[in-house]
Amino acid sequence: MSVTPANHKFATRTIDVAEFFKIVLLSLFTLLWLVPVFAAFITSFRTMDDITLRGFWSWPEALSVTNFIKAWGAARVGKYLLNSFIITLPSLAGMIFLSSLAAYALARFRFKGNMLVYFTFVAGTMLPFQILMLPVFRLTNTLGLYDTYGALILIHTAFQLGFCTFVLRNFMRTIPQDIMDAARVDGCGEFRIYWQIVLPLTVPSLAALATLEFTWVFNDYLWAIILLRSDALRPVTAGLATLRGQYNTDWPVITAGALLATIPTLFVFVFLQRYFIQGLTLGSGK
Amino acid sequence: MASVTYEHVWKRFGDFIALNDLNIKIEDKEFLVLVGPSGCGKTTALRCLAGLEEISDGAILIGDQKVNDVAPKDRDIAMVFQSYALYPHMSVFDNMAFGLKLRKVPKEEIRKRVEEAAQVLGIEHLLKRKPRELSGGQRQRVAVGRAIVREPKVFLFDEPLSNLDAKLRVQTRAEISKLHQRLQTTFIYVTHDQTEAMTMATRIAVMNKGVLQQLDTPQTLYDRPANLFVAGFIGSPSMNFFSGSLRKDGANLFVDTGDFAIKVPENRVATYMPLAGKEIVFGIRPEDIHNPTFAPPGIHAEPVEAKVDVTELMGNEIFLYLVTGKHSCVARVDPRTRFMIGDKVQVVFNMDNFHIFDLSTDRENPLAVR
Repeated sequence: MSVTPANHKFATRTIDVAEFFKIVLLSLFTLLWLVPVFAAFITSFRTMDDITLRGFWSWPEALSVTNFIKAWGAARVGKYLLNSFIITLPSLAGMIFLSSLAAYALARFRFKGNMLVYFTFVAGTMLPFQILMLPVFRLTNTLGLYDTYGALILIHTAFQLGFCTFVLRNFMRTIPQDIMDAARVDGCGEFRIYWQIVLPLTVPSLAALATLEFTWVFNDYLWAIILLRSDALRPVTAGLATLRGQYNTDWPVITAGALLATIPTLFVFVFLQRYFIQGLTLGSGK
Repeated sequence: MASVTYEHVWKRFGDFIALNDLNIKIEDKEFLVLVGPSGCGKTTALRCLAGLEEISDGAILIGDQKVNDVAPKDRDIAMVFQSYALYPHMSVFDNMAFGLKLRKVPKEEIRKRVEEAAQVLGIEHLLKRKPRELSGGQRQRVAVGRAIVREPKVFLFDEPLSNLDAKLRVQTRAEISKLHQRLQTTFIYVTHDQTEAMTMATRIAVMNKGVLQQLDTPQTLYDRPANLFVAGFIGSPSMNFFSGSLRKDGANLFVDTGDFAIKVPENRVATYMPLAGKEIVFGIRPEDIHNPTFAPPGIHAEPVEAKVDVTELMGNEIFLYLVTGKHSCVARVDPRTRFMIGDKVQVVFNMDNFHIFDLSTDRENPLAVR
């Protein structure tokens, strides 16, 4: 290479400047994004008296974890979180299992109406939620499911099936047909091919979907307030909202509860984000 | 161990006919190679036998049992795929053991068989690895290993060497032949490479457009091709063809290509006399065209004038690309030949080995009818 030292220095410096601006800009955005979270975090460790005396943006007088204990126990966030899990986990299992079955059939079998079924799944995901609100409410009433966990589990499973099937079917199409033929010759029946060959190969896609769907269902608020009435059944999103009325003077307890509610989602993302990113870029080139 | 029989097998994909009345009887312990250009139906024939495709008509028998409606897993066959089709999420050991586990073979027996097969193939040290950690050649061995541990009645190979580099392909070819001798089982092998077919097969089935063209031993196929297609497909470089007619002149027969006329030797006149006056294609293999200086003695040599178009030195021989009027041909001549590009030269055709194909009767070679 015949680059003169002077030129070389100049080149690196321009890159550094561009790089520097990028970092500054991104840091600013990140900070801006984190300000409310930080505010909530600080607030949750203060007392209401302290806030009313000095205002939100003041240096706290003292920090304590009482708000968290209060939120978990008296404000029932612990119970709400448990409800969230009782609703989210079966929904997740149901939608992943059912959609992977449907996806396998759609990806692998040639039959009349294959495309029609596939498009129905895709089209279903495009229906706006507002249209379905009333019919679903009445359906759960008729089925006697209104105000039960079952109603929410069922509606979440059904609602996400379209999207999950769409993603999984497209992923399964990328698995070479020869592998399945080899399994067939080796002695596999159809279900075993699905269970022992295709499903293990779909894990990256399943993990990405599970992450996405977990946050989706876990953070759902609207279906929870539409289909549930009893406080004892409420997931944490709906539960937190009721706190506002109950503790309208105690912001620190409410923010403490909100922070507690985000912990599970945070965990899922931290542990599954590797798959999530992999999943987002799936099929974008090898 | 079993024979395999295709009886009037048809396979249609919509309007496309992939197999057109296929009849083959493959003996027990035979190494049959199905060969032909892409799209000729050879892979379809194999997949139908494996049960991966349903046949539209006819019957396929393994041993004496008709297997039309038998599921692939109950046909007792093993198949090696072109892409190897290893299970990416399983170790080499599990890949090979999978079929046995499904058949509920005892654990100890599975371990024994897998280790034996691995030893035969020289992959003992790879058993714990995943397929993605193997080279192409190693994957190919695992694919073969997965087939042999099953100890099936019939082995199917679908172009197993086409993803290997040239050197490895030659080496693996010999190994598969050795494997056949060792296992003493029926092998059915699909390839588009006539060299593979010639070197490994006990018999070759040449296919084109879903139709079986000829089924015979490699040497017979080479010496007495049934028609133009087989003649052109088997042999490399392929046979030279000259279109023309057969001219009768008293008791003699002449092949007249328009560019040159050559005399049919007396001992072959009777065979070709019925074709006199007809449109024919004259075929001669590159090794039967000689430089007159180095032509072996005692052959029926007929001189032909030609212009040298290209020469390719191979070391032990020279490929001469010749032009004779409107025809062109390839000759494999002695390496001492000093012909230059553009030279007008005289070569000799060895008329002990030539073929005449009758254009009016589906291009059949009267010689093959015997």
